This record gives sequence, structure tokens and C-alpha cells, in this order.
Amino acid sequence: MSIKPGIRYGIISFGILFYLSILGLPLPRTLGGFGTLALGLFWAVLVLISLVTMRETDQRRYTTIEAVTGGLLISAIAGFGMALVVGLFGRLIADGVQVNTVFAQVLPEWVGTFTGQTKQEVQAGVSATTALLRFALLMTSAGFLGAIVSRGLTHSSRERWHDWINSPFMYWLVIAMPFVFYVWYFALARGILGATNTSISGLVLACLFVTAVLVALRRVRDKRRRLVFGIAFVVMLILLPQIGDQFQNTVLNKIAIFSVVGIGLNIVLGYAGMLHLGYIAFFAVGAYAYGLLASPDSYFVINFMGGDGITFWQGLLVAAIVGALMGIIFGVPILRTRGDYLAIVTLGFGQITFLLLLNLREFTGGPGGVLDIPPPTLFGVDLGSAESILYLAMIMLAVVAFMTLRLNDSRIGRSWRAMKEDEDVAATMGINLSTTKLVAFAIGAAFAAVAGVLYATRQVNIFPDNFALKQSIDILSLVIIGGLGSIEGVVLGAVAFAGLPEILREAENYRIVAFGALLVAMMILRPQGLLPPLEHEEDIDVSDRRQDAWLQIFDAEEDDQDSAETGATGTD
Amino acid sequence: MPLFECIELSKAFGGLQAVDNLTFHVDQHEIVSIIGPNGAGKTTVFNLISGFYRPDYGQITLDGDDITGLPSHLITQKGIARTFQNVRLFFNMSIMENVLVGQHSRTKGGVFSVILRTPGYKREQEKARATALKQLSFFGTRLAGYRQNQPANVLSYANRRRLEIARAMATEPKLLLLDEPAAGMNPKETLEMADNIRRLRDERGFTILAIEHDMKVVGGISDRVIAMDYGKKIAEGSYKEVTDDPKVIEAYLGTQGGSFTSK
Ligand SMILES: Nc1ncnc2c1ncn2[C@@H]1O[C@H](COP(=O)(O)OP(=O)(O)OP(=O)(O)O)[C@@H](O)[C@H]1O
Ligand SMILES: [Mg+2]
Repeated sequence: MSIKPGIRYGIISFGILFYLSILGLPLPRTLGGFGTLALGLFWAVLVLISLVTMRETDQRRYTTIEAVTGGLLISAIAGFGMALVVGLFGRLIADGVQVNTVFAQVLPEWVGTFTGQTKQEVQAGVSATTALLRFALLMTSAGFLGAIVSRGLTHSSRERWHDWINSPFMYWLVIAMPFVFYVWYFALARGILGATNTSISGLVLACLFVTAVLVALRRVRDKRRRLVFGIAFVVMLILLPQIGDQFQNTVLNKIAIFSVVGIGLNIVLGYAGMLHLGYIAFFAVGAYAYGLLASPDSYFVINFMGGDGITFWQGLLVAAIVGALMGIIFGVPILRTRGDYLAIVTLGFGQITFLLLLNLREFTGGPGGVLDIPPPTLFGVDLGSAESILYLAMIMLAVVAFMTLRLNDSRIGRSWRAMKEDEDVAATMGINLSTTKLVAFAIGAAFAAVAGVLYATRQVNIFPDNFALKQSIDILSLVIIGGLGSIEGVVLGAVAFAGLPEILREAENYRIVAFGALLVAMMILRPQGLLPPLEHEEDIDVSDRRQDAWLQIFDAEEDDQDSAETGATGTD
Repeated sequence: MPLFECIELSKAFGGLQAVDNLTFHVDQHEIVSIIGPNGAGKTTVFNLISGFYRPDYGQITLDGDDITGLPSHLITQKGIARTFQNVRLFFNMSIMENVLVGQHSRTKGGVFSVILRTPGYKREQEKARATALKQLSFFGTRLAGYRQNQPANVLSYANRRRLEIARAMATEPKLLLLDEPAAGMNPKETLEMADNIRRLRDERGFTILAIEHDMKVVGGISDRVIAMDYGKKIAEGSYKEVTDDPKVIEAYLGTQGGSFTSK
């Protein structure tokens, strides 16, 4: 039965919600009128995740009754628990207790987001019992919804789930999504929908469009259709910067730049399997190489270059070369380091670079950074606008992705992946591990460095803080969340890590917690990332099934005695 | 001069003398088997030959070249390839890619020619693909064909062993080291594997050094058998001579691996 686990997960869910809310769970406030709806959805998702986790731990499917009891229990415990806590805090605040000396976020407004009261009402101690009851019941029904959805997910066997995913309806739906979001984005931006202040919602749609393109491209396997839709998507992407306002284009170009960095790290980590935690250093090197050689205030430009800095295009070349060299120089000492040790040493490299940027004041400007980095120009035309930089970033992303695809499907890519799977065996295949690693470092670093150049002109002023440990971890997470070893995954990860924070700008604290929760949920539900490389996409169960399927064909075509082949593997 | 030779090879792990003063050779076109009870040091010999460990003492030569202590990839380039007792494929790569990795040291394409897909690189890759396909086809339709673009982890156990051999063949070695190629196979597959090993020599011209526990296989394939115990060579000669040797019988009876006669 699902009563005991239901109670357990109810308490856990309550704990999570309580924790999120004392950190200032800001959903209702940020989203204004949609607050309660969003909270309800969030609730439903929480119940859904709990139920799926329950199912995974229980190793079985739940019946309708079980799913619904479980879901109701979870959401009721969490909902009434929260109502109780909110009521309690409301009481305390009304009694003049300074609750926010302990829980900084628990202000009268905080209570108000749950009860619908104003600050004054909360402080005056107006009773909110009915409002809280309504809140608890509303969240319980949201939990019911979650339970029904989870029932839909868990009831159908994997096969039916696959059938549904693979149905023509889903196929065309997935293909239609990019067009829907694109048109919606366009309509919103042109004011056709009548709304004002569409910056954030437009950005949401733009991000959804990018995500939908990635998902659709993965779904369409047929070569001719791929070409047709591929061209359609490219045209749409080319026109994308024309739709958005400056804010949206600024965020989108950040997404593209971080995708380039992510693709570089993906070579080192996703293909070659080396956990490089100081990878941000190469991004910094590119940005500083251009900044220091181009900014009119830079020590180098003033003292050695007669005040004339290099152009953006020269900067790209310099950064690619310096980046590759740095990749090799940082790579040589760690050739023999593996796994955890590699991670620790490279973490050190990242910190060293950061500290050098911070402390070599005379050359790098120290904490004051490098200022007034010139924009790219082409035939005298200034390309410094958010829109132009988005174009440059998209071109850079396309070029880097193209090179990566070709490298991956070549003897070099194969040697990286072989090395990732088993270094010793790769060596007995004639692969020189040292060169293979250094080539991966050099290419990965060069990609990050050219992205750094674009980042520097985008930012105009750069500071060591732009390249601190936090950014290194962000880039690492975007590669892992997206799906190690896949370019679409990296871009999706970049949308999540560069786009979402802008969307949830007012919710900085919450974002980190949410990503923490997302990471944990992903490890349970989708350890291979959101859009992993295709060959990993099917989980073990399916490949087992596939194996059995072909063994049957095999048995049919070979003589019947051979069926013992199944015996060797048929142990389920 | 023999194609391959180990002279006074020795290797200790801490106090354990895993390989002890071992001298043997393999002639061109010969199939030599190494037998011995569990823990006799057979796999360690392979690990020494393929450069996983550096011998404490002794010399290894291929074609008269001293290859002692070279790194693994150079040993492969010189012409020695191996398989593993516990199958070690690149499970997330496709069957074709596994074999193509074997072609790595026989191709040269660098970063720029790969990105630009130069005509030279394309030609080289076509050749590599053809070679890979030829090796896969050695096992009939079991690895080649519609299956070759599936990840190696979909393969059955026996096919994994076959793929490992195909991958080793793709490095174009002079000497092929097979570590228990028939382990875990059923009787029919075992016979087939014995046949395959003979074909590797007769049709493909490889010289083979194999570790094998299954005495039917050993008897069926070997030109010469070397028996080891406690890291030492205790007997050498034809299958008959070695299996009749009292020292060998005692070595097997003295251990739990006494499956020697029953198999
Ligand atoms: N890396 C190592 N470190 C320490 N001891 C080792 C190592 N490799 C092998 N040994 C030991 O050396 C001895 C010989 O091992 P080896 O694997 O060569 O035996 P084997 O003849 O291949 O046996 P089997 O028939 O079981 O495969 C064993 O006692 C083993 O425990
Ligand atoms: Mg062994």
C-alpha cells in the first residue's frame, strides 16, 4: 500500500517546501497574478516526482487507488503543514516577534503571498484561517492532479509509454512546437497580442523556441525531412535577432556564447572523459587576451602598441592560438593524473588563473578589470549592438558545432571516446594517450578562448569575478545537465544556465536551491542528461529488449542448435 | 630467428612472484597455447608483453626489436595486439567504431584534415572502413551487416568476445594475444572459436599466442603448448607431451582448477 510511503514523502515534501519558502520561495511574488497557479503546478510536479520516486524505490507500479491515496497524502501533509507554519508565523509577526532575525525572508509580505493579505493586515493580526484552509485545499487538489498524471505515467508500461512517445501525433506535435513558439514570440514582440512589458515573457518564448528546435531536430530521423526542417529552423534562427528587443538579444547572445564554451568543455569532459574543473581559465584567457590587447586603457596597448589595439578579428586568432597553447601547457602536468586527482589539480589551475588576474594589477587591472573593450567592426560598421553580437555568437556556435561534429566522427573523436571508456585498452589499440589528451585540451581550450573574446566585447568591461569558480561550476553543470557528449544537450544546458537566471532574476537564492533539486531529481530519473548523445538515449531495459529481438532473428537465420547463444545472455 | 621471444621475464607484485624467469618464443605462423591453473601468472605475461607492466627483469623482442618497457601504444604499432580475459570493449561505441579504433595507429589524419575532410583523409577513412568491415566479416554475419552501427553493449557475450578479436585484428598485428578466447562460451561456440583461431592463422596469416583453459580447444589448435605454475614454465612441447607431463598433472590436481581432465 502507498500509505506509509505517502506519509513519508509527504513529510519530505513539506520539508522541501518549508526550506524553499524560508529561503524566500518567490514564485507567487515574481509571477504576480499567476502566482497561485504557478505554485499549484509546482505542487503537482513535486507530488509527481515523489510518486515516481516512490515507484522507483518500490520497484513496482501503483494502482489508481494507491497513486491517488499516495498523492493526496503527500500534498495534504505538505499543504496543511505549510498552512500551519504560515499561520504560526503570521501569529508571531502580529504579536510583534521579530521572526526575520532568524528567518530573514519571513516578512509580513511573505505571509501575505500565501494568505492573500496585505502587509498591514498581517501586522494587524487579521485572521487568515479561511484563506489558509483554502490554500491547503487548493494545494491538495493540485497534488491530486499530480497523482493522476503520475498514474498516467506509471500505469502504462514502458512499451506503451514508448508507443505513445513514438506516435505520429507526438512526432508532429514535436515538430510543430518550434513554429508555435516562434510565431507566438513574434506576435508578442510586435504587440499583436496587445500586452505591454513583454521582455521577460518574450524571453521565455525565445528560450522555449530554442529548446523546441533542439528536441525537434533530434526527433526527425528521416534524412530528407531533416534537411527541410533544418533549413526552416536555420531561416528562423537567422531572423530571430530581428524579433527581439535588446534585453532578449543580450540574453540570447549569452546563451550562444556559453554554448560555445560548453561545447569546448564537452570535448574535454564529454568525449575525452577528463573532469576539468578549471576550464573557465581558458575562457578568461581569451577574454583577457583580447581585452588587454585591444582596450585603449590597457598596459600593453599604451606601452607597447602605441595606443592602437588589435581588432576583434585579430583577437579571435590570437585567442585561439593562446588558448590552445594554454590548453597544452596546463595539460602536460596532468597527463598522468586521472579521475578525482585530475579534478582537484585542474580546480587549482582555475583558482591560480583567477588569482593572477586579480593580483597582477599592473598588467591586468586587478579587481578593476579591463575597461572599454572595443566592439567588433566590419568595414567600418560597428557590430557592438546586442543584435550584432547575437549574430556573431550564432555564427561562432555554428562553426564550433560543425567542427566538433566532424572531429567527433573521425579517428580523433573515436580515440577520445575510446580513451574515456578505458584508457588501458585505448592504449593497446595504438592510441597515444598523451597526444590524444593534449589535442582534446588544446581544442577545448581554443573554443573557450574564442568564446571569451566575444564575451569580452559583449561585456565591454571585464573583471576577474566574471571568471571565478562559480562560473566554472555553472559551465560544468550546463554540460552535465544537457547530456554529456551531445551538442544539442550543451545548448539546452546553456539555455537553462544562461537563460533561466534572467527569467527568474528576482529569485536568485531560490535558483541555486532549485538547481540543486533539479540535479538530484535528474540523477534519479535521467542520469544521462536531458539530451544525451543518441546511442545512450535508450536505457538498459530497451537495449536488452533490442538484443533479445535480434537474437530471435539470429536464431531464425542460423541453425537451431545455435540458440544457446540466447542462453549466454538471456539471464534477465 | 623466432618472430617473438621472451627471455628470463620476471615480475613480482610485492612478495608474490607472478612471473618467474620465464623464457619462451613463438615462431612465425605458429599457434602457441599457454595453460596453467588459476593464478599461475598467464595474464600477467600478457600484461607484460602489451606494456601494462614493466618487467622487473628480462627482455621481450618482436622481429628482433627489443620492445621491453615500451608504452602500450608503441607495442601495438610494432605489431602486437591482444584481447582481454574479462572482455573490455568500448561498450558505448558502435560495433563498427570499436573496430575502427583498432585502425587508429594505421591511419594518420590530423585535426585540420579531419575538420576540412581533405581528399587524403577521406581516402584513408574509406580504407580504414573497408579493413574494419573485412575484420567484422571474419565472423560471418554475426557482427557485420545491419548490426554494425549498434552500440557494442547490445551484443551477446559470445559476440563480444568475437568483436574483441575483430578489434585486435584491425590493428594489423603480427602477433595476436588471445586471453581465454573461449571462456564463458557453450560447447558449440567453443568449437567454433577453436575453428576461428585456426582460420586466423591459416587465412589471415596471424601468429597466435593464446591462453586457454579448455583442453579441447588447446588440443585442437596448438602447435605447441607451454604450461605454467607459480609464474614458472613447468613444461613445454606438443599437446600430448605437456598433458602427459607429471609436473603438469600435479599442478592441476594440486589446485581447485582440477577441471583439467574433466573438460
Ligand atoms: N596488478 C596486480 N597486483 C597484484 N597482484 C597481481 C596483479 N596482477 C596479478 N596479480 C597476482 O598475480 C598472480 C597471477 O595472476 P594472473 O592474473 O596472471 O593469473 P592467471 O594465470 O591469468 O590466472 P587465471 O587463470 O585465473 O586468469 C595472481 O596471484 C594474482 O593475484
Ligand atoms: Mg588470466
